[in-house]
Amino acid sequence: MRIRVVDLVAVCCALVLVAGCSQPSSGGGAAPAKDAKGGRLFGVSYQTMNNPFFVELNEGMKSVIEAHGDRLVTLDAQYNSLKQKNDISDLVLQGATAIFLNPVNWEGVTGSLAQAKQKGIPVVVVDAPVKDADLVLCQVASDNLEAGRLAARKLAEVQPESKVVILHSSVNKACIDRVDGFKEEAAKHPGFTILDTQEGKGTTEVALPVMRDLLARFPECNAVFPINDPSAFGAISAIESAGKLGKVLVVTVDGSKEAVDVIKTGKLLSTSAQFPREIGRISAEKVYEHLEGKQIEKEVKIPVELVTKENADTFIANKAKGPSK
Amino acid sequence: MNAAKRMIPLIIAWIVLLILFRMKVPAFLARDNMIDLVQQISVNAIIACGMTYCILIGGIDLSVGAVLALVGTVTVSVLSIGNPTDQSILRLALAICAGLGVAALFGLFNGFCAAKTKMPPFIITLGSMLVARGLALRINETPIRVPAQDDLFLAIGNARIGGIVPVPVIIMLVLLALGAVLLHRTRFGQHLYAIGGNREAARFTGIAVGRAELIVYILCAVLTGVAGMIHASQLYSAEPNSGQGFELNAIAAAVVGGTSFTGGVGTIPGMLLGAVIIGTLDKGLNQAGVHFSLQYILKGLVILAAVYMDVRRKRQA
Repeated sequence: MRIRVVDLVAVCCALVLVAGCSQPSSGGGAAPAKDAKGGRLFGVSYQTMNNPFFVELNEGMKSVIEAHGDRLVTLDAQYNSLKQKNDISDLVLQGATAIFLNPVNWEGVTGSLAQAKQKGIPVVVVDAPVKDADLVLCQVASDNLEAGRLAARKLAEVQPESKVVILHSSVNKACIDRVDGFKEEAAKHPGFTILDTQEGKGTTEVALPVMRDLLARFPECNAVFPINDPSAFGAISAIESAGKLGKVLVVTVDGSKEAVDVIKTGKLLSTSAQFPREIGRISAEKVYEHLEGKQIEKEVKIPVELVTKENADTFIANKAKGPSK
Repeated sequence: MNAAKRMIPLIIAWIVLLILFRMKVPAFLARDNMIDLVQQISVNAIIACGMTYCILIGGIDLSVGAVLALVGTVTVSVLSIGNPTDQSILRLALAICAGLGVAALFGLFNGFCAAKTKMPPFIITLGSMLVARGLALRINETPIRVPAQDDLFLAIGNARIGGIVPVPVIIMLVLLALGAVLLHRTRFGQHLYAIGGNREAARFTGIAVGRAELIVYILCAVLTGVAGMIHASQLYSAEPNSGQGFELNAIAAAVVGGTSFTGGVGTIPGMLLGAVIIGTLDKGLNQAGVHFSLQYILKGLVILAAVYMDVRRKRQA
């Protein structure tokens, strides 16, 4: 029996920690999850939180929800579909007022969507789409087609005769749209040739060697469209080490602070900026409109904005306010 | 008797967890939420059953996560050959056999290498993990959707018997019951404890150590195969990239449940309790709205506390 005392002390220490930490940080306190007008529970599940984009998106969402006196539970699926399914199920059974979802697998969430629908809980999809659009309240994302068009337009303006390679991330619907938009605009400029499209996976470490190979294969290449900021950094690094800086122009999509810094150095021509904070804010506002009984459009496109050397400083200063129109 | 006694502190810890979460989350102990809890742990518990066998004989199987992905991919590929238009029992049977067959092959390979070569199981299964992952990605790089008319396959992960008990829970309970009988009520089970306790001594008493090892790794892989089918069914698609880190979850369930990493100690009911505690923690922390960064820290500390308790008890026993 004396043994168990020690054991229990160990367990209790861990449990006290659990208890101490499970105070909701938002200050909703011990108020019950639902009924009361304020203090309602909202949940969001992201495919990953290891990306500043989603951290900003989450902040935008949270600001609206907390302004209403409600609280938001943020869950990280770590690219694991099963974890996402379980997380959503936890939120549904707890009686969340609404759920925001950024899917890991755009087909694999069907079961979760059906479960939420059955309990009458509205689901808003953020950033990346789901296959079963009829099971969700609405989908909020950047206007990715326009982001691609803006990039091609800027390139055509600076260098009408462009021989372009594309660094794709072909499993991602948002990136597919960007490339479609880029190609659509490129077709309007007779001086444009698209030499090749390769998989850059949207990351710096994959894009770098792929770009190096492309430069060796196509000595005539003078422009690249990496579909996001991280892969643009990889492309720039490859261009730099090949001594072709300034000869191969780079246009991309995202608008992260790091990319804007690179634009100021002249190594990056433009980035079509997304507004993650705005996506989060609009998503939350749509849910409140729905709760008030208003009709919501199925698809909401958040405008993107072209960032170049000229507007880099004002962009950073105004980013939090959302797209300027 | 001794084994049952060792579970008492774990049961107390679990009850304390339940009470704590009930205080934070009013609906925590509701029937639906508890059924959902068991449903959520089913994939992990089935894998952890095989993992417990492996750890018991002083081995390990790191390939389970990748095998789970490969089995799902193979099964769903067979289901969708030639764009079928209606439910076919024959095709379903074929798909399940193909999936379990692939799993068994990997188990055979792991077991053969463990029994016949001097390579440590950690390295063998690290290698086969990469091979299985690569094969899954070769079949298809992106998720394959389960054909919509395959109601029976989709039922494996999503249906509820009588509208209440999820099918994965039933599959899990049946497999764990069989697993427990095999380990605790048969001579084969006795042999596993003997091998884990002292491999050389077991060999001298005439136990066919190599054969037992082979069977253990095949069992572990086939159980993983079943989990892989539940997983694919629950997600309406097979993901070649899924299952990463599942081996660690299974190991965590086994060790929290009292399985000794040096082999020779551990039970199936203990493992189930380990899986339940981890599942309760996951669900409770989610529902209490704990920030995900803190969730990792707390889960890590609880696993450490549970294993520390176990080690202490063993030293004093």
